Amino acid sequence: MNKNYIILTILMLVLAVGTLFLRMSNEPKQIDPEELLQEIIQPTRYVTTDQVAKMIIQGDPSLMLIDVRSTDEYIEYTLPGAVNIPLEDLLVEDNLLYLGIPGKKVVFVSNDDIKADQAWVLTKRLGYGSTYVLKGGINCWMQTIIDPQQPEETAAATDFETYSFRKGAQMYFTGAGSDDGGSNQVNVQVQRRQKSNVAAGGC
Amino acid sequence: MHIHELNPWRTLIALSAFIVILIIGLITMPKPLLKYEKTVDESVNALVESDAYFYPWELEQVIAKETDTIVLFDLRNNFVFGQGHIPGAENLSASVLSRKENIERMKKLRDLGVTVVLYGDSELDANGPWMLYRQVGFNNVKLLLGGYRYYFEHKDDLSATINDDGYKRGIARYDYAEMAAPKDGAVLSDIEKPVQVQRRQKSNVAAGGC
Amino acid sequence: MGPLIPNGVIGAGWDFVIAILIGIAFGFILEASGFSSSRNLAGVFYGYNFVVLRVFFTALIVAMVGLMYFDFVGWLDLSKIFILPTYLAPMVVGGIIMGFGFVIGGFCPGTSFTGIAIGKLDALFFTIGLYLGIFGFSLAFPLFEGFYNSGSMGNITLTDVTGIPAPYFALAFTVIALAAFWGTMFIEKKVRKNMKQYKF
Repeated sequence: MNKNYIILTILMLVLAVGTLFLRMSNEPKQIDPEELLQEIIQPTRYVTTDQVAKMIIQGDPSLMLIDVRSTDEYIEYTLPGAVNIPLEDLLVEDNLLYLGIPGKKVVFVSNDDIKADQAWVLTKRLGYGSTYVLKGGINCWMQTIIDPQQPEETAAATDFETYSFRKGAQMYFTGAGSDDGGSNQVNVQVQRRQKSNVAAGGC
Repeated sequence: MHIHELNPWRTLIALSAFIVILIIGLITMPKPLLKYEKTVDESVNALVESDAYFYPWELEQVIAKETDTIVLFDLRNNFVFGQGHIPGAENLSASVLSRKENIERMKKLRDLGVTVVLYGDSELDANGPWMLYRQVGFNNVKLLLGGYRYYFEHKDDLSATINDDGYKRGIARYDYAEMAAPKDGAVLSDIEKPVQVQRRQKSNVAAGGC
Repeated sequence: MGPLIPNGVIGAGWDFVIAILIGIAFGFILEASGFSSSRNLAGVFYGYNFVVLRVFFTALIVAMVGLMYFDFVGWLDLSKIFILPTYLAPMVVGGIIMGFGFVIGGFCPGTSFTGIAIGKLDALFFTIGLYLGIFGFSLAFPLFEGFYNSGSMGNITLTDVTGIPAPYFALAFTVIALAAFWGTMFIEKKVRKNMKQYKF
């Protein structure tokens, strides 16, 4: 019997036992805090109400609105096609399946933008990309899309362009000033991420 | 016995090399500056803690320098800071937050028991950094409600803001349902919620093969 | 850092270069372990030579334990590596066929090539048979297609199925492997005592 075999056996056993102490937590995979901080200080996550309105009107299939307010508020009013995930229920497994669908842009919506931003930070920490925050929230949506104010006559031409778009959007969403609202075809398909990655070769 | 079984020495050398590589890995392992102290779950629950926020009227004592355990950090950039800021505030632009020295400074302030109040132009601007600091265990970091903009509008009479709700968050400022109701009797059947939601089967079965 | 290509450390074009390098190393180790001799390989089934079991079990436990440490020290992100999809019944049947081929032919596909490399005739014929088999299977594939794709479980791991963390499996497999090393050593000794001669 060779002594070296005994040493080898013991070494390998120690190494294997060592793996038990590496990472015991079952905490889901998340990005590093420093990386998260880098992401947080970028303002690229904000989208304006105009952008979202345009996407809804054009029926952009990549848009997914997630309303993070409470269910009561959601039932009372929400943006067209929005899915309700109250912030408190964000981590329920079923709800996370709405995130991370390839090719989908998730926009978080709340009354103002704070709650939506909080949802953004938490989902970012969990590593989900392509998430955005509706700047100003539904309050801003009301101000700009549902009840746009005519700019002053001295305002820049772009303000008038924005205003005319908003006026059109208002018509689309409320039917104001239009006698034919029924032709608006918005068909939002809500899609969930496949839980496992489909096999992609590698054999 | 044949030749392959006669050289456990070589195996021992190979295994030693393996162990050396692992030891090198453990030694060179980057030590993160920040570590999550709260799980995501705890962070969600912590959002409703009221002592995590700093109210605009509380600014009075900071401005009057009545306290030395509160530090104000202005997260806006240096230029805007120069144009005007809350008296006594220090500039710490969001873009330099992740620098090592700034993180170490935050740690030092935490150890000294100093309350750190973050503010940006609006409350939203400081929300992200504030949430991050809270998640990595800086429980002394607070968020100024309303942000600089609200302070600026009310700086002459901050104590009156205790009765104001202009800085409060998450409040519906309008009666949405009424405001967005179809006007002129127009029918908008197509943009009603809820939309049909495709619910995926909750099994692990993947569709395709190789 | 790793996996290198998914993390963009090196371009996707390098995969073939890496494949060639790993292939060369794999062939070298197979030959150096004596796997180009079908007597060595078939010895597992007759109980006089367990070198195959020892080499493969060693590779398995070293890779398994090593990957876990690599993941821990940040050299490799285990959540990003490709996991072969599991087809339960086809894999069991395929394993049985493979086992029969192994003991009848004395080679597994990889070792038959190392056998050819050192000029073994039996390895050459094994390889010809291998290609004929592949050809036959391809022609008859429509017959097997339903079974071939049945029982798909997706890209799952034992941890996904049982919920037990991976280190426990690593430890269990290491213990099994080490026990097998010692156990087979005694079997070998017993069997060889009754053998008149033994050469490669």
